[in-house]
Amino acid sequence: MSEKKNDDFISYELQEFKLFEPLFRWARKKSLWIVAFCTGCGGIEMPPLATARYDFERFGIMPNPAPRMGDLFLITGYVTPKTLKRIIITYELMQDPKYIMIHGSCPINGGVYWDSYNVVKQFDKYLPVDVAIAGCMPRAEAVMDGIMEIMRKIEDGTADSWKRYRENYEYYRKNQDELFGEGWREKEARRWLAWI
Amino acid sequence: MNFDVRLVLEVIGMLLYATFMGFIFMGIERKAMARIQRRVGPPIYQPIIDTLKLLGKKESISHGFIYDFGPIFALGASITALLFLPLANFQLFSSNADLIVVAYLLEVPMLGIMLGAMSSGNPYSALGVQRGLLTMVAMQLPYGLAIIAIVQHFGTFKLGEIVALQQVHGWSILVPALLLAMIVFDIVFQAMIGLEPFDIITAPAEISMGPMLEYGGKQAAILFTQHAVQLFAETAFFAILFLGGASNLLELLIKQIAVLFIAIFVASIYPRFTIDQAAKFFWKWPTIIGIIAVLLTV
Amino acid sequence: MINEVPIILFVPIVAGILAWVLDVKGVRELIGLAGAVIPVAYLIKVYPTVADGKSITYALTLGSFNMSFTLNTMTWYFAIIGAVLGLTMALGMVSTAKSGYNWLFALMSFTAVLGVFTAQDFVSFFLFWELMTFASFMMVLKYNRHASLKYFILSVIGAYAMLLGIALVYARTGALDFATISQVFAKDAQLTGLSGMGYHATLTFSRTDMILLFTFFLTAFGVKAGAFPLHVWAPDAYSETDQSYTTFFSGVLSKAGVYGIFYVLLMMMGAKLYFSLGTFHGHPLFLYIIAWIGAITVVVASFLAVLQEDLRKLLAYSSVGQVGYILLAIGTGTALGFSGALFHVLSHAIFKGLFWLVTAAVILRTGKTRFEDFGGLAEKMPITFAMGLVAVLSLAGIPPMAGFASKWLIYEAAIQAHMPLVAGAIFLGSALAFAYVVRFLYSLWFGQRPSDLDDVKEAPAPLLVGMGILGILNIVFGIAPGLVVEYINKLFRKPVITGNYYKMITPNGTYNALSVTLVLIAGIVIAGLLYVYGARARKVPVTDTYQSGNPVTEEYNLSIRRNFYRPLAEALDFWLKYSWDRFYERLGQLSEDFADVLRKSVYNGNVQSYSWYLAIVLLILALWGVL
Repeated sequence: MSEKKNDDFISYELQEFKLFEPLFRWARKKSLWIVAFCTGCGGIEMPPLATARYDFERFGIMPNPAPRMGDLFLITGYVTPKTLKRIIITYELMQDPKYIMIHGSCPINGGVYWDSYNVVKQFDKYLPVDVAIAGCMPRAEAVMDGIMEIMRKIEDGTADSWKRYRENYEYYRKNQDELFGEGWREKEARRWLAWI
Repeated sequence: MNFDVRLVLEVIGMLLYATFMGFIFMGIERKAMARIQRRVGPPIYQPIIDTLKLLGKKESISHGFIYDFGPIFALGASITALLFLPLANFQLFSSNADLIVVAYLLEVPMLGIMLGAMSSGNPYSALGVQRGLLTMVAMQLPYGLAIIAIVQHFGTFKLGEIVALQQVHGWSILVPALLLAMIVFDIVFQAMIGLEPFDIITAPAEISMGPMLEYGGKQAAILFTQHAVQLFAETAFFAILFLGGASNLLELLIKQIAVLFIAIFVASIYPRFTIDQAAKFFWKWPTIIGIIAVLLTV
Repeated sequence: MINEVPIILFVPIVAGILAWVLDVKGVRELIGLAGAVIPVAYLIKVYPTVADGKSITYALTLGSFNMSFTLNTMTWYFAIIGAVLGLTMALGMVSTAKSGYNWLFALMSFTAVLGVFTAQDFVSFFLFWELMTFASFMMVLKYNRHASLKYFILSVIGAYAMLLGIALVYARTGALDFATISQVFAKDAQLTGLSGMGYHATLTFSRTDMILLFTFFLTAFGVKAGAFPLHVWAPDAYSETDQSYTTFFSGVLSKAGVYGIFYVLLMMMGAKLYFSLGTFHGHPLFLYIIAWIGAITVVVASFLAVLQEDLRKLLAYSSVGQVGYILLAIGTGTALGFSGALFHVLSHAIFKGLFWLVTAAVILRTGKTRFEDFGGLAEKMPITFAMGLVAVLSLAGIPPMAGFASKWLIYEAAIQAHMPLVAGAIFLGSALAFAYVVRFLYSLWFGQRPSDLDDVKEAPAPLLVGMGILGILNIVFGIAPGLVVEYINKLFRKPVITGNYYKMITPNGTYNALSVTLVLIAGIVIAGLLYVYGARARKVPVTDTYQSGNPVTEEYNLSIRRNFYRPLAEALDFWLKYSWDRFYERLGQLSEDFADVLRKSVYNGNVQSYSWYLAIVLLILALWGVL
């Protein structure tokens, strides 16, 4: 993940499906695949959503372990810098269009960790967000409601975080580098490779 | 070779039908699983939406030529396998190939997927490839024995003749030896369509998605379509070999869905094997039953 | 008109000697190449003659022996396979051979193999057989002493067995030429058949004779073909030599064993063996034994191939396994099985030859042989990779390839012959073949490239030409298997497999290669349309992959290089404890120890003890009443 790769990552052609775009938009709305990357305490709210009580598969939502196929990134709770690095890398692997929903107070403003040195207080400085659900913790109904909101936004085309990330990449990149220091990807890679 | 308009129309119609029904089968699979777990489950056409969404992704990546060629080759081979089956009253190309050719063609897509997965360079994909091939090694012996039992009983390799003989003498499974072969084949079938307890290849919670991991966007859409066609072809293959084939598409559909439901029920009960357990399992009971079946039909 | 046979036979060895004597870089390559091209050209020239069923004979008198060589429909088939492989070997050796030594012995074995294929009497057969063993032994000796000795010892065992067999035949018939011996066997077979019905006749060969002959010749040919349990030399010998030469070594020399089984055991003594040894569950016993040897060879060698960590070893075990298919097909004992065996002789030669040439190119360019040192070469050697892919598809038996056509015949033959368990072994073997070719693909061509392979270049031109010849043959014979089948039908003088160029029809099955190819292409086009419709793909580096969200650098190679099929090894751990190779090694060690003990205690260099031995021997003789 060198510097060069990130330039590639930003400059690519968008494919516009003129005739079938409404069809694809409908399909995107009805088939949100969640990247199963649960951080913090919100992850525990996922099982009731997935199982018999709320069953989000009704709406075509499905947890999918492969980020390349994923559409929806759920940030379920507080994010530490260490986790944020992984979130950024996984997010960049996902293919456009992709959406982020943040969960609970912590990613919004730090929540109960407002004075912690090791928690990312304001998540949307680092990655763009489509829908944020407040609460500590938001109940499953609230999460469901957030997902409905995302689906509504996809339908009318206002869920555009992936576009914003590309357009304002310098801004996000600057914030990320400020937090982690320049060249954090290489440094991080060397650090964990030592464990193999 | 003269240009046969009717054949071409039949082929196109059958491809569209098979792809659509294959997606519906995948939908049935998810819906039935959901109902068994007391959920509502997705709409039955959900796989079609998923595939459309994947095809409509605005970004796509490639790890090189083979990475793109793998899924395309897999879908092409699945289509080929489908067209060489005698599907109900449509003979298509089935007079040009026999059981062994079709059995081989049904395995070729695997190689396509493996090729693509390997070229991505992801170790999880490589693990998926390894597991896929070892599952194949494990299941091939009982699978071969079941096929040999069929051929020895009917004395022909031609799928069309096997169907015709069953129409006259009754379904294969009414013959005791072939009933055993059917049991073996059904166990293998679980691995062929990648359901529990042999969903070792994708193993979502262990190795992310195995061979599928690095695929997104249009390549994943092609792989989903491939899976749909493959599912249709394999259920049809089962129905042709053991359930007497069919005289029209509705009959075939009913038999395919029956086969599918057995697979789903088994899948929703059993947990996943590890790969060496699967190999040991396949080389024990299914092989023994298969050997009994072939010795009864000699 | 000058007789073509001696030219075909002796040009290679003469060229080899010239190349060895001159040994000038550039000249020796040209001479060697000429020596390999001429036999191919002449063999193609005589094709119309042999295709008509005529034969060309050449006789040579050497002392009191009359040696004769014939090119007929049968021998031409083997000879042309040998010659084409020899040509590609020579093309490969232009790039890989570093000395005249290699050229001498490679071309010597070329001559020897052609001699074995065309010989019409046991003298020339045995002489050329030994020449072949010697030449290939010398090729291995230069690279690895241990491997060559293993090969040599097993070959010597085979040669002694053959010599005993020939002696037995000579003692009973007094003839050494094949024609006479065949007649004697045919007549004897009739008599045996009659004696089974209560008619008493004096037989030339008793049942014991036939059992002995079968054992002797099966051992002799089994060693060369690498049949279980005599296969242990093959993996070492195939891998420890010039890889271009292995194209010939594994592609053709192993076929000499198959040819021997086919010609001597089947065409010469088949009927007699059938009547003498009887049947087992309706199968001729001797063929049944061959079929099971073939089946066990397929399974054992394929399992071992899957578990290898060295590129050359993997392909060597795979060669052994593929020859097992041929033995198995012969063992079915039907005309269909023989056709399948003959076709597989051809297709194994072309795809395995291609494999070894690819290996030669890779080893030449990288200098490495173990899987853990390779990776990501597809970008660096695209043409070699494409050829490797053709070989892989052919070996794995993907439909429009030569490998599938012959394997399909073997499947049909084995199942129709009602040998279900043997046929089951083919199914298992083909799945294992899938597994090991994928290992070959993954470790060499894909994944992350080790940094020391960054300046690897494409294979040199002569090697590419050699690969191109074999690659095209793989595809041509795959799409038009009728070309081969038509010729094989001529051998049997009746249409065993009907159909046309593209279509093969056996009594109960059918395979139309052209329609499979066309439908496959159509399917790929349909899939390609879907692909083209999607978003334009951008190329990403190999490090841009999902590692559970962790970043990746080029510094650590994440590809799985060692123990790729470890779970299989775990599932098989009980069986892997036993090895014929280790058994033979231990046997060798034991006899060495025994000889050592003998040397130290008995031949101790003490004159006094030697005089004691003399005294004891004299005493024994005296007691026995000799003196």
